[in-house]
Amino acid sequence: MTSPWTLYLLAAAALLFTGIYALLTMRNLIKLFIGVEVVSKAVSLVIIATGYAKKSILVAQGLAITFIVVEVSLVATALAIIINLYRHTKSLDIRRLSKLKG
Amino acid sequence: MTVQILLLAGLILSSIAAVLVKDLIKAAVALAVASLFLGILFFRMGAPYAGAFEISVVAGLITVLFMLTIALTKTGGDVAESKLATIAFPLFFVVFLAVDILVTRGLIKKLTTLPAEPAAGVFGEVLWKQRTFDLVGQVAIIFAGVLAVLALFRKRSKDTDD
Repeated sequence: MTSPWTLYLLAAAALLFTGIYALLTMRNLIKLFIGVEVVSKAVSLVIIATGYAKKSILVAQGLAITFIVVEVSLVATALAIIINLYRHTKSLDIRRLSKLKG
Repeated sequence: MTVQILLLAGLILSSIAAVLVKDLIKAAVALAVASLFLGILFFRMGAPYAGAFEISVVAGLITVLFMLTIALTKTGGDVAESKLATIAFPLFFVVFLAVDILVTRGLIKKLTTLPAEPAAGVFGEVLWKQRTFDLVGQVAIIFAGVLAVLALFRKRSKDTDD
């Protein structure tokens, strides 16, 4: 017997796994950040699905909107950092950032 | 229920495509498609405001920001990803899903939620009256983001002046 909530939680777990896999294995900075985005999709899915299952969708919606605002702010800052790093190292390869030098 | 399953499948598949596709532009578009599926799911769960935010802000604005970054970093952008990671992904994914289904089945009954009265009324009222502090936090975070972006780009222009 699977309830819709269980299904949503399983889907969110699959998304979380995909995002963390990308964070662990990818080398391109933008790809890594796409992994972070996938993780954040899992989080907002869990928030809304739990609100829906536990009959408090309005509060969940408020939380999801707060989360989306945080996400946008995070994306803007992180992409600015990525552009700065690119101008510094002329590459998007994460392995070239392993040396903390100049 | 079938529609929900299809939407969830679309969401997961396009997220996987966003992670595994080599071309960065295609990956950004796949991420936008995933946001679209998520937004439709929100609408179906009775959360129209969150759905509208998800589609307009995440599928729209964030995709534009990604495209802009990809365009600005075009020349050095081709980083060789390890092929093994792409090939091994389905295996790890299936193993994770199997373990997750087993664990979730056992745990789902034990999950309890905090006692709370079901929220009633209009969404705007709940957001303004119950979650006022969240709004203050949102304003603070937007300001922090703006200041961070300004600081990052100003520092760079000072570097080039030197």
